[in-house]
Amino acid sequence: MDRTSETAGADAEPWEDHRLKIRGLSKRFSIPGRRPLEVIQNANLDIAPGEFVSLVGPSGCGKSTLLRLIAGIDGDYQGRIEFEGRLIEGPGLDRGIVFQDHRLLPWLTLAKNIELGLLNADYSAQEQRHLVQSHIELVGLGGFEEAWPHELSGGMAQRGAIARGLVSQPSLLLMDEPFGALDALTRVHLQGELLSIWRAEGISMLLVTHDVDEAIFLSNRVVVMGSNPGRIVRVFEIGSEVRANRTGDEFNHLKQQVLEAMGEISESVFVV
Amino acid sequence: MDTVSQKGRQIGLAGGVESVESARGLSLTWVIGTILPLVILASWQLASSREWVDPVFLPAPSTVVTAFWTMLTQQDLILDFLVSINIVIQGFVYGAVAAVVLGIAAGLSKRFEQFVSPTFNTIRHIPGIAWLPLIVLWLGLGAPAKILVISKTVFFPVFLNTLQGVRGVDEKYIELSRVLKMSRFQLIRKIVLPAATPSIMVSLRYAAGLAWALVVVAEGLSGLQGLGFLIFRAQGLLLTDQLLVCMVLIGLVGFVIDRSMYVAERRILRWRQGFDG
Ligand SMILES: Nc1ncnc2c1ncn2[C@@H]1O[C@H](COP(=O)(O)OP(=O)(O)O)[C@@H](O)[C@H]1O
Ligand SMILES: [Mg+2]
Repeated sequence: MDRTSETAGADAEPWEDHRLKIRGLSKRFSIPGRRPLEVIQNANLDIAPGEFVSLVGPSGCGKSTLLRLIAGIDGDYQGRIEFEGRLIEGPGLDRGIVFQDHRLLPWLTLAKNIELGLLNADYSAQEQRHLVQSHIELVGLGGFEEAWPHELSGGMAQRGAIARGLVSQPSLLLMDEPFGALDALTRVHLQGELLSIWRAEGISMLLVTHDVDEAIFLSNRVVVMGSNPGRIVRVFEIGSEVRANRTGDEFNHLKQQVLEAMGEISESVFVV
Repeated sequence: MDTVSQKGRQIGLAGGVESVESARGLSLTWVIGTILPLVILASWQLASSREWVDPVFLPAPSTVVTAFWTMLTQQDLILDFLVSINIVIQGFVYGAVAAVVLGIAAGLSKRFEQFVSPTFNTIRHIPGIAWLPLIVLWLGLGAPAKILVISKTVFFPVFLNTLQGVRGVDEKYIELSRVLKMSRFQLIRKIVLPAATPSIMVSLRYAAGLAWALVVVAEGLSGLQGLGFLIFRAQGLLLTDQLLVCMVLIGLVGFVIDRSMYVAERRILRWRQGFDG
């Protein structure tokens, strides 16, 4: 029954090679006086080291909830979430997170904001300075160290948020619609940059997005979720040759398939 | 990274244009703002030189200037001035520090708020001046009684605004603090305090004005020193020129206090978007 891991071919790999391993994950919210709401039902998902996975699905299907469980911000779930072989207990600097709003603290300069990611990491002052500076440069914000967040454009602020998420050198970066609030041009620009950042850092990425095009362009795998209750309905492997040509036939064909999977959720088609 | 450096230039340029325009706006504001005081001064001079008003009630501006010089050189105006300033600064600092500390504590802990709020609300509604007679009985006519009363007056607006500022911290930043594994102390230091600062600054500026007004009254009611003492003594002795010197001085100091609070506020809150007081 473990479809997702079969799709990933993950069972062939030793257990330790999974960065993230989710088994039988269910999450419900109970609001007093109402029927408990099952937001995620029996989800299984693996992410390999260095893998880029995208999560798409209709609004309200539990994508953010899944991300927050992995980040350790929310708890109280059934099933198992293992990160690098250990059950997740709360947030950790080994998992970076980028929210849809950049969430830079308005009273700190860009450099100070990024430094915040190292507040509780074990680095010497010199290493900290070096890490902050190299990550500012990684996201292309060199020269803006002393800028206040309100002086940055939306795209620049979001790059700052990515730098803050990466500065503690996590092995998994979680992103919840990080480009959702940006204009189309900036978004395409940042997608390209995210891809080169991912190649440079070599870490695992989990991206929640409602943009199927973005998901296919960036990912090794696209995971489609359905709603009521939220669950994983299909997983698409994306070959590198497909991603290479964003306007090609293969790309469009796959995009069509993903969109169909998102639309055919009620029929729960479990065939890849 | 061409786009980035270009953006940088744009920001620099925009800032430059803005400051030029605001400088021009400032000088115009300055000119407009000085018209009315000049008119008042001119009418005052006219009224006394034509003897429309008895000099006992309204001495000429030149007489007041002379009185100022006499008080400065032959009397203890500077000493009285320093006495008042000293009381205000001490009262302000003690009241404000206590208010921020307790305001943060009450903001973070509902229990603590419940613990102090009935007491505080009662004390708050008894004006500082109404406390003065009792406190003078305890502490005497000297500076400590006045400092205490001013602290009390400064305390409440600052306490309430700090509490409100802490409660208003965006939930999203609290979530961020968890993601970044911040300790409780780091949360207060890096998030709660800065987020509450705009609200605290507003109340500090307001409280500074209150404190200065109150010291004059308190000195008039008790003790033998300070600008407040001078002004009430001048009234008793019908030294109207000295009385006016004190009034002008009190007004000027109040103006300077408010301006410096404003400048401090601007500097501390320079991270705010479009902030202009
Ligand atoms: N803290 C919460 N309490 C109650 N219901 C919640 C809470 N968080 C999310 N939900 C519900 O869970 C569902 C999934 O939410 P979410 O994970 O944000 O969806 P998505 O990110 O896919 O749009 C929604 O129906 C939402 O109303
Ligand atoms: Mg969401």
